[in-house]
Amino acid sequence: MDARIKYSVLLVGIGIIIAFLPFNTAETFRVKSNILLSRSASEDIYYSVDQVARMMNNEDSTVQIIDLRSTTQFKECNIPSSVNIPYPDLLNPIWEGTFNQRKIKKIFYGNDDQTSTYSWTILTGLGYQNNFILKGGLNEWFKTILYSKFNGIKISPVENALFENRYNARKTFTQINSLPDSLKTKFFSSKRLKQSKLDGGCE
Amino acid sequence: MDLIRTFITQSMGPISITFEFSEWINLLIAFLIGIGFGYSLEQAGFSSSRKLAGMFYGYDTTVLKVFFTAAIVALAGSQLLSFFGLLNLKEVFVNPFYVNASILGGIIMGAGFIMGGYCPGTSISALSIGKIDAMIFMTGGLVGAFLFAETFPLIQSVANDNFKGPMRIDEWFGVSPGVFTLLLILAAVALFWIAELAEKKFSRPDITSDL
Repeated sequence: MDARIKYSVLLVGIGIIIAFLPFNTAETFRVKSNILLSRSASEDIYYSVDQVARMMNNEDSTVQIIDLRSTTQFKECNIPSSVNIPYPDLLNPIWEGTFNQRKIKKIFYGNDDQTSTYSWTILTGLGYQNNFILKGGLNEWFKTILYSKFNGIKISPVENALFENRYNARKTFTQINSLPDSLKTKFFSSKRLKQSKLDGGCE
Repeated sequence: MDLIRTFITQSMGPISITFEFSEWINLLIAFLIGIGFGYSLEQAGFSSSRKLAGMFYGYDTTVLKVFFTAAIVALAGSQLLSFFGLLNLKEVFVNPFYVNASILGGIIMGAGFIMGGYCPGTSISALSIGKIDAMIFMTGGLVGAFLFAETFPLIQSVANDNFKGPMRIDEWFGVSPGVFTLLLILAAVALFWIAELAEKKFSRPDITSDL
């Protein structure tokens, strides 16, 4: 058989196979279950409320805090500088830009650890990097940052720094959450991240 | 160690995104790919303006065969790699589409291609083996690029008009990428056969024997 016919048949055959393949299977889970298990068992995926409060106070630009609660709950109160991605809407492509960040840490929180743990597992499994969980969620935030008091007689420098950090976070939290809705929306939309993109091209 | 661990757990392309190479490694990879590309262009005879002009006159259709083969290999290969979980197509760069600029630029480039006998890449390939016409062609290209940059504020509206963003043809046609790949392969095979017929019909032994 003529080589040209052989190559043509080969090319068309490959084309027919590809025509039936699902597109971009990379969107499915691609981290192996044992690796996902070992990562999820590590304490390194958690941030404490004090750590997050410090990031918030310092306006840390390498961190994006993500509120997984419903929009209604988010409007009632939220951790300042966080963005709202309701958990059922997690896989909406509009959030691709927020998740597809390799140099920014994404810290998830819900009322407790449940939705943030689910989200961590799904996004890490899909191959997104730098996902973290706010340990204890908003319940822990309220308990530690908003309501905790120093009950001792003499405060040590370490405790003083800790409570100063909590006090500053408490103040920001109260101020931001008492803003009118219009100002809050403007503030939150300015926090939306753009997707990291591969630059390229050809002449 | 981190790089090895990342490779084991995240062995998926595009590698420059997965591994976050430093600038010099990215440039080194580009340099090595450039050597391969330049070598292949030269070996395929693309440093000859007569061979490239042959595409227009029909006596030599190597350009069509090489570039169309490259396109279908890249297209089919990227989708197979994606299917086997080795490439995330969502992270592959898609050129933004400026409709007016593409049409206008295409006409200018096509005219330049047939008049000069080179495209930008092949002119560098020809320059590297010391062809004088390639030197003149490249000088012209650089002057053109300089004029474009200097007059950009005047032509900005034309250049940026009718912007469609990073658009893919399969999305435009409303077919799956796999079906589009099959259609392109069929088009390539048909064009290869037509090209062979054209080479016989418009053969120029006086030129092709020298190539």
